[in-house]
Amino acid sequence: MDVFKLAWRNVWRNRRRTLVTIAAMTFALFVMILYSSLLQGYLRDMERNIVDLEVGDIQIFAGDYRENPSLYTRIEDPEALLEPLAQAGFPASARLLGFGLAAADEASAGASFRGIDIERDARVSRIHEEIAEGRWLDPADPRGVVLGKRLARTLAVKVGDELLVLSQGADGSMAYDLYEVRGTLRSMSAAVDRTGVFMTEESFRELMVVPAGAHQIIVRRPVGLSLPAAALKVSGVASTLDVRTWKQLMPTLASMLESARAAILAIFLIVYIAIAILILNAMLMAVFERVREFGVLKALGASPLEVLVLILLESAIQAGIAIACGLALSLPALYYFSTEGFNIASLAGVTVMGVAMNPIWRGVVSPETFTGPVGLLVLIVAVAVLFPAFKAALIRPVEAMRHQ
Amino acid sequence: MTQTNGSPSVEVRDATKLYQQGTLEVAALRGLSLTIRPGEFTAICGPSGSGKTTLLNLIGALDAPSSGSIALGGQELGSLGRRALSRLRRDRIGFVFQAYNLIPVLSAYENAEIVLRLQGVEERERRERVLGVLADVGLEGLQDRRPDQLSGGQQQRVAIARAIASNPAVVLADEPTANVDSETADRLLEIMEKLNRERGETFLFSTHDPRVMERARRVIRIVDGRVEDDTASG
Repeated sequence: MDVFKLAWRNVWRNRRRTLVTIAAMTFALFVMILYSSLLQGYLRDMERNIVDLEVGDIQIFAGDYRENPSLYTRIEDPEALLEPLAQAGFPASARLLGFGLAAADEASAGASFRGIDIERDARVSRIHEEIAEGRWLDPADPRGVVLGKRLARTLAVKVGDELLVLSQGADGSMAYDLYEVRGTLRSMSAAVDRTGVFMTEESFRELMVVPAGAHQIIVRRPVGLSLPAAALKVSGVASTLDVRTWKQLMPTLASMLESARAAILAIFLIVYIAIAILILNAMLMAVFERVREFGVLKALGASPLEVLVLILLESAIQAGIAIACGLALSLPALYYFSTEGFNIASLAGVTVMGVAMNPIWRGVVSPETFTGPVGLLVLIVAVAVLFPAFKAALIRPVEAMRHQ
Repeated sequence: MTQTNGSPSVEVRDATKLYQQGTLEVAALRGLSLTIRPGEFTAICGPSGSGKTTLLNLIGALDAPSSGSIALGGQELGSLGRRALSRLRRDRIGFVFQAYNLIPVLSAYENAEIVLRLQGVEERERRERVLGVLADVGLEGLQDRRPDQLSGGQQQRVAIARAIASNPAVVLADEPTANVDSETADRLLEIMEKLNRERGETFLFSTHDPRVMERARRVIRIVDGRVEDDTASG
């Protein structure tokens, strides 16, 4: 028996049912590929926003700075770390951190001051690309500061306005000075949006009377190196300091991202189980309609395995067509969503767990975008068809041929 | 293959077949014995419910007796497993069913060749044999038609071609003329007689049809699951 030819013809015996089954599989696959792509894109952007804009892959602190942030708890000689880290392939930059009050005209608000090494920071963070109005910091303009979006709104300042900064210097003196708002940032994270005041490293040192040291070193890992492996290497360089990955620094967010990945699988399963029921129903109907025929085949000498293969092949043909159609439909859609994306500008400023969403939501196209949905569809089809296939294979010919 | 040694084509010894109908046990065969020699053209007749189809099912290895034994060409069926029985049906038995039972998606040619394909016969030989048997049953030129494009008689001829294409030890035909008109029935019987005469095929019919009984060289009458009469002619 030319099993493929027989299976192919059997598939098209009930054209309408076959087309409905294939259409359902195609639609499920199409939706799952797009869903997978867009959710992966969302997670990628989220992780990028966390890592690229603010946190970096790894951060280094002195002593218990994270538990008790203090102007005095500093990494004494950041240069001694930055150089070996750079040699090991880890771009890194030191930051100075302080807290105080920012005021303009009648308004004032609590602020977190961040002293930036402009050149090095550009290697570890994309924050300089996130200017909504004005310009980023410039060493040639030590009086210029950049404000978080909401802080600028709270203080009702715009580019060119004056900003009064008040704090306490490391020497115990009152630290205050007038600065000019050079720029305001796009929405990034709740912390930066509400309190962020960025200034040059030199301005910070002068304001807060911190002649040396740094409060934080932001480290990026080389491409291809896993986060745990990178953390291990950085710990080797900064063995006496507190080395933390971004996942340790933002455990809730990291856990949420992991949960979102698991949610992809859960949604796959829910949609595909519905499809499995449809396939099971279609295959059961196809088998029950042909019980007598399977009996004849077995009476003529077809083995149970040959009948099993026939049924499996019929499903494989339908799944194969559905996969081809699903991929053909999804490719242009993926191209559009990965290049143009969804414009969700109306949600601009919305943060999820303190991390801002990008105004354009783009999908990701990677092998996983296809392998997951296709692999799971094949698995579900195989599981759904096993019962009718075994039923047909194990049918007793004498009983089957009595079947009307 | 057609039986050529001294063993009977079919040997049924003291076969009993019991069916459970609710709480009742019904005997379809009651200690029936018979022997069919190679090349015989035998009709089994009897009233409805006498056990004709049950007997053919047992001989065709489609069912097993409750007691007694069946042997095909000397091979005891009771000693064979499921796979071996599949192979035996494929290699040694040809079936012609009352309702034709052709595979609707296959052409006449493909239906006739299906057993040869299951046997793994190579294509050239398959083609030669299938075209030969289609010619023998008078279906030249109709090999590409599917069952729904053929008349009842033509479909039954395809079924006969399918049954004999692999040169089985015995062809079991269950009421082969029941669903066709008398002219077609005569034509089918002529074909089967000719195949029996020229190719030495062993035919065993179950039938109500007096025409079949007239043409059969041996008529076995079964009543209530037992052989009541066994008459050989000419």
